[in-house]
Amino acid sequence: MTAVQPAVQPTVPSAAEPTVPPTVQPAVQPKAMMADRYQRAFTIAVVFLVVVWHIAGAGGQLLHNRADYSSFAFQGAMWLVMAVAIAVGSVLVLRGTPSWRSAWAVALIALAASTAAAAASPASQMLAVNWAWGTAGWTGVLVLLRRRFSELGCYLAAVALGVFGVQVWDGLDRTVLAGFLATLAWSTGAQVAVAAGVRALDVAAGQAATAARSEQAALERAATAEIITAARHARWLALQESAVPLVAELAAGTADPGDPLVRTRCEVQAARLRRLLAEGDEVPGPLVHELQASADVAERRGIAIEIETAGPLPLVPGPARRVITDAAIAILTAARTRTRITLATVAAGIAVSFVADTGSVVPLPAADEGVAIEHQQDGAILWAEARWNSR
Amino acid sequence: MEQQVTVAIVEDHPVVTEGVASWIQSDPGQRVRLVRTARDLTGLLDEPRATVDVVILDLELSGELVTAQIPGLVTAGFRVVAFSGHSDPLIVMETLDNGAHAYVSKEEGRDHLVEAVLAAAADRPYVTRSQARAILADQRPARPALSEQERQALLLWFQGMSKASVGRRMSISENTVRQYISRARAKYAATGRSAPSKDALLARAIEDGVIKPGEIVPYKSFASAAADHPSLGAPGR
Repeated sequence: MTAVQPAVQPTVPSAAEPTVPPTVQPAVQPKAMMADRYQRAFTIAVVFLVVVWHIAGAGGQLLHNRADYSSFAFQGAMWLVMAVAIAVGSVLVLRGTPSWRSAWAVALIALAASTAAAAASPASQMLAVNWAWGTAGWTGVLVLLRRRFSELGCYLAAVALGVFGVQVWDGLDRTVLAGFLATLAWSTGAQVAVAAGVRALDVAAGQAATAARSEQAALERAATAEIITAARHARWLALQESAVPLVAELAAGTADPGDPLVRTRCEVQAARLRRLLAEGDEVPGPLVHELQASADVAERRGIAIEIETAGPLPLVPGPARRVITDAAIAILTAARTRTRITLATVAAGIAVSFVADTGSVVPLPAADEGVAIEHQQDGAILWAEARWNSR
Repeated sequence: MEQQVTVAIVEDHPVVTEGVASWIQSDPGQRVRLVRTARDLTGLLDEPRATVDVVILDLELSGELVTAQIPGLVTAGFRVVAFSGHSDPLIVMETLDNGAHAYVSKEEGRDHLVEAVLAAAADRPYVTRSQARAILADQRPARPALSEQERQALLLWFQGMSKASVGRRMSISENTVRQYISRARAKYAATGRSAPSKDALLARAIEDGVIKPGEIVPYKSFASAAADHPSLGAPGR
């Protein structure tokens, strides 16, 4: 998916049709997936590390020292148990974050296998031929990697304690203790370091993803702002032509508010402003809605206005609606006491008519945008019809 | 002077009854005489038929639509003019289909109610703007086929023009405008459920030359609606 694009060219707004901001699509953030992807890559790396360690490291040591074990078959069986635990653990972490039950079940099997393998080793050279301690630790790193760090710490300590307990049982002297501590520092230290490294990378990836998300949000905000600006600019252009000069004249004192002509101009501009605001509304019958908005000012002046519709009305495009409402504003401004506005479905279009006591002929907008305007004056009564055809 | 037309008003709001009574009284020709007012329909059917020519019926009595009561009234020999605040085209159509002579919305009452009562008493068609609106909005497959001229006259009448102005617009006489509108109404009297009031309206329309028996084709497909009948049609605009 691509970033949200503004539906309009903000640099060329149309004065005739202010743009309606399209609904901004919910954020689709390609970069937000980054954190998940990186985390998965780290998980795969850890799986690879543990599997290679178990086969090459532990497996190699097991075969190398096979003559030294009291029962090679038992050690082999423990190695297989550990292999199964690693396989299950790998599947679990590759399918997502495992539950604490399954993570700890795998870890405890590895712990048991490690302790049993140590106990079954010859007492004199237990540490020298121990292949399982490292593997059990790595298995714990694998399944507990994304749980609380203290859980991993406890687990690694338990594994070390298991081995240490066996050693104590076998007999402990200063040399053996030094060997135990050296192995602990080397093996467990490496495991803690890898776990901490992955954690740090997780955090970095999360931060990068957050940054990407906020960048995405900023882009969307900018796109929306551009659309709104374009709509505003279009409205501003529409007002520039008409309302602004009038306000300027009033401010400068060149237009006299007492002059009926100036008052009429004000009324027309007020009606246009209302229509402009109504154009942004999303309503099922926009034409009727805009006619009502256009009629609002005249209604406040005490003109009785009826709006009636006959038949299911077709949807009239924006520019055509504007020609029709322009005619409405012209007629409503000239009406003395009443105006009847009707909308009727006619073959392939709509007939919007006005009957008003204008007293005299009203200048009406020219036919445009597929709207034809006809009128007839009968004494004081003006009849006008704006017909729009979809064909 | 012609004999006065006698009316009964069935209306549950006394203020409306009084308003209607005042319109009747202010008729310069005193052509209508109010003989009875009622707040509901009970007892009206026991009234000797001869004493009431036309019933002005509010379509909503005590919160209930009474359009379904109209066939009973027209079968009993009353002519019904519906007078209602409901201007929904479907209700207007149902009212006419059930045998009411005319439909007058409450907004139209002052200008049209007395005239509609007089037309109903004479079995002549009377088409208010709200009736024209309902006909223009009619989308039912079984609607009668109207000619272009009839449709145009109804449209301009609905839009709010006087019949004289409609005539000028269509380059025809005011009388021909009345013909077109009345003919459209008569075509509707020929469709839907049968009612003595509709038969009477149709018979009078034929007698007055508004419509020819051959033009009454009750269930004509609207696909054939475009062609105007040449017999009565003056040239269009």
